[in-house]
Amino acid sequence: MATNAHAEGEGRQPIVAHHFNNIRQQQASVRFGMWVFLVTEVLFFGGVLCAYAACRIWYPKEFEAGSTALNPFIASINTFLLLSSSFTITLAIRAAYKGQRDGLRLWLASTIVLGTVFLGFKAKEYYGDYEEGLIPGPQKTLVDDVDATGKPVLREVSVFAVNLKHVLEHKNAKAKAISDKMTWNERDRTQMFFVFYYSITGLHVIHMIVGLGLLVWQLILAQIGFFEPTERHVYIEVMSLYWHFVDLVWIFLFPLLYMAGHHSMDGAF
Amino acid sequence: MSEHVQKPIVFEDDHAEPASVASSTLTFLFLAGLACLAMMIGFTDLGPAKVWVSLGVASVQGLVLTLFFMDLRHADKLTWLTAMAAVFWTFLLFLFTLTDYLTRHYYAF
Repeated sequence: MATNAHAEGEGRQPIVAHHFNNIRQQQASVRFGMWVFLVTEVLFFGGVLCAYAACRIWYPKEFEAGSTALNPFIASINTFLLLSSSFTITLAIRAAYKGQRDGLRLWLASTIVLGTVFLGFKAKEYYGDYEEGLIPGPQKTLVDDVDATGKPVLREVSVFAVNLKHVLEHKNAKAKAISDKMTWNERDRTQMFFVFYYSITGLHVIHMIVGLGLLVWQLILAQIGFFEPTERHVYIEVMSLYWHFVDLVWIFLFPLLYMAGHHSMDGAF
Repeated sequence: MSEHVQKPIVFEDDHAEPASVASSTLTFLFLAGLACLAMMIGFTDLGPAKVWVSLGVASVQGLVLTLFFMDLRHADKLTWLTAMAAVFWTFLLFLFTLTDYLTRHYYAF
């Protein structure tokens, strides 16, 4: 006997797959599947953040200097963009639940736009770091220095260390003070902070791109009426779980990477 | 002719209507307020306490996001167990890694 839940949606595939008893069981399974996936994601990011924690405790001065060299303003804007996108995707779930096709498309599209703008700002930030030469690498150069007796010597240091010194000296007085207290070895070791910075934000960006791909796919499905049987709002809901998780990761990256140093409102924007 | 027998539902019924627009707006405003607070902390010199205060604010943000936006508050027991498993295993990950790496400078004898 076919129940309403097993009825075909819009003449296409049945709303309830054959291996489920009813729509409630299917929705609970779909949600549970995404939550289990998110557990693996928590441990995935947890591993990198654990390594970050160990290194930061070992080398607090280097991590403070590295964070000070970053641009906190772009990261702050990006925080609000991601929070806004979490809000709009929540509205998309409600629109799908209520059968509001136009509302669903509007809020899905808004989420895509906010996510894309986030990536645009992230690209701008990466380009700024590249232009400042804050890229870890093996390149060396010679700088004037003094030895333990105060005698002038030429010292071989990484190009990164020279660039970091330059960036910090031109940022603000506090950043310059941090740089002045650092030895060349410490400036060299600050590359480790940037390895974490590029790895963790890079992984986050990959997750954003995957999320945007899924959102575009759902927007196409919304366009062709896939979500017209409102029981299918659960697919928007589980997609939102992933998107919220990406937001959650950023909420922790913001203080750990961008706010670990000294920042000033001088020269903002 | 065998009659169709409805099997019992394996999962606890976790159906709840999605959050209202007013509720979502309130959650968003609260999270945005906490983000402003996180920014203020970031631009303030709190010394060694800064990281703990920042992580405290981020944890509250994470909790609100999980409970309200991810709707964990209406989730069934299995989902709660799954979410708590993530927290527990992450705790173990940090505990065992840091107790190793941060005690290596102590000699065993």
